[in-house]
Amino acid sequence: MVEQHWPAYWNPKQETLPKEELHALQGIKLQGHVQRAWQQSPFHRRLYESAGLTPDKIKGLDDLRRLPFMTRENWMACQAEQPMFGDMLTRDVDDAIRYHLTSGTSGRQPLRVLDSRKDWAWIAEMWCYGFWGFGIRPSDRVFFAFSYGSFIGFWGAHYCCEKIGCMVLPSGNMTTEGRVKQLVEMAATVVCATPTYALRMGQVAAELGIDLAKDGKVRRLIVSGEPAVPATRKLLEEMWGAKVGDTAGMTEIGTIMIFECEQQPGGTHIIEDHFIEEVIDPETLEPVPMGGRGERIVTSFGRGFIPLIRYRTRDLVQRIPHDSCSCGRTGDIYQGGILGRVDDMKCIRGTNVYPRAVETIIREYADIEEFQILLTREAGIRDEITVQVELKPDSAESWQKLEKNLGKDLAEAHEGLRFNLSKAAEGELPRFELKAKRMQDRRGD
Amino acid sequence: MSESSRTGQKDLLGRELSEEEREVLDLYQRLRKLAARSDLAPCISMNAKQAMVMLWNACTDLGLIHEEAEVD
Repeated sequence: MVEQHWPAYWNPKQETLPKEELHALQGIKLQGHVQRAWQQSPFHRRLYESAGLTPDKIKGLDDLRRLPFMTRENWMACQAEQPMFGDMLTRDVDDAIRYHLTSGTSGRQPLRVLDSRKDWAWIAEMWCYGFWGFGIRPSDRVFFAFSYGSFIGFWGAHYCCEKIGCMVLPSGNMTTEGRVKQLVEMAATVVCATPTYALRMGQVAAELGIDLAKDGKVRRLIVSGEPAVPATRKLLEEMWGAKVGDTAGMTEIGTIMIFECEQQPGGTHIIEDHFIEEVIDPETLEPVPMGGRGERIVTSFGRGFIPLIRYRTRDLVQRIPHDSCSCGRTGDIYQGGILGRVDDMKCIRGTNVYPRAVETIIREYADIEEFQILLTREAGIRDEITVQVELKPDSAESWQKLEKNLGKDLAEAHEGLRFNLSKAAEGELPRFELKAKRMQDRRGD
Repeated sequence: MSESSRTGQKDLLGRELSEEEREVLDLYQRLRKLAARSDLAPCISMNAKQAMVMLWNACTDLGLIHEEAEVD
């Protein structure tokens, strides 16, 4: 096969567009998008009428903040009032070619979404920005450690790889052992999984006597579905002998809106010609200045069936300028990708605890295979935090020593807060393929 | 978006189209017309729709159009 010289960008014209022009483009798209939502979605018309707004007031990006927020709550309420999809669809249900659901990780009623043929093609297209940007090319063999169910997950990435011309290796309902064997046997060069499940595959490979870094051909791991903390990424890169590229998306838009480029700047570029991303203070709802942390608000131009305009995601992010990366893209960066959820923070005896921070410390301990964080309320008044730890089967580490050191590290990172530690039996703690759920708050039980 | 910016020789930001942009936009518009017809055999209609949405992506990525084809 003749080797073709490809550009580094999927879309060289727009990915390097000067910021001023990018904002002008977003403004033009916003106008049209709001107009269509008003005309075709009763939900949006009601939302805008209640804010005293008509589409003619939206003349460009400067008018963005005049638009009211969409929230998961008003979306769920709309679906509950008019099952199954509420009245936010802009087209007839029969025009849809796909039906998906949110994962239900939060324990609430899942959101139901529909996509047209065009929407579905766009969903794959956004993944193309990310995959191409992270160096995936037609000669790659891409293994999907994904169950291909109603959760949207890597569905769009699968079609993206077909479009790029990669060899797609779907693993559907295979066992972890079967997946590990197949990706080695088929010489997969790229693996897509959640960070948690990529770790799990590495652990199972070790149990099978397979050294993924030596026996496998994987050169890129593309992770999505949950925050990838730096310590976990480091662990994955050593385990697989591959670069780890972070991406993040959501069922509400159907695809990814951010991706890590080959330069690995420590964050993910926003696909700004298809999305408008804002960062606000979740309490005051005011914009957070560049570099500050806040809640991300997304407006997506791609899914025609369900217009998503100023949607409150509850994702915690820190936006930094595009030029902090040397790749030349003009899409700004979320430092560290999605940092967590704005409501992830737990207050234990006056100290703020983020699951991501706890995981970062735990992943520094190579002997720990899995963990769970349990919050309880003792005697109806005193909050306790317990970390259950499962060691690797071949761990030679003394539990007493690990308990002492880990307890000290966790306390030092949390203003002296005492963490209880308990040792779980081998295989006792849950494993995850999709989004990991490692914190249980039982204080209200 | 005005009809002129979709069928003319400028992109959404008012810039002249390159030769390949004109070509891809022309293909999209022709496929869109084909996809809207209801008198075609399924093998023509469905494949035209499928091809049209791919070209929609290219035109949208390049900032040539911002529209919902609605005939997919």
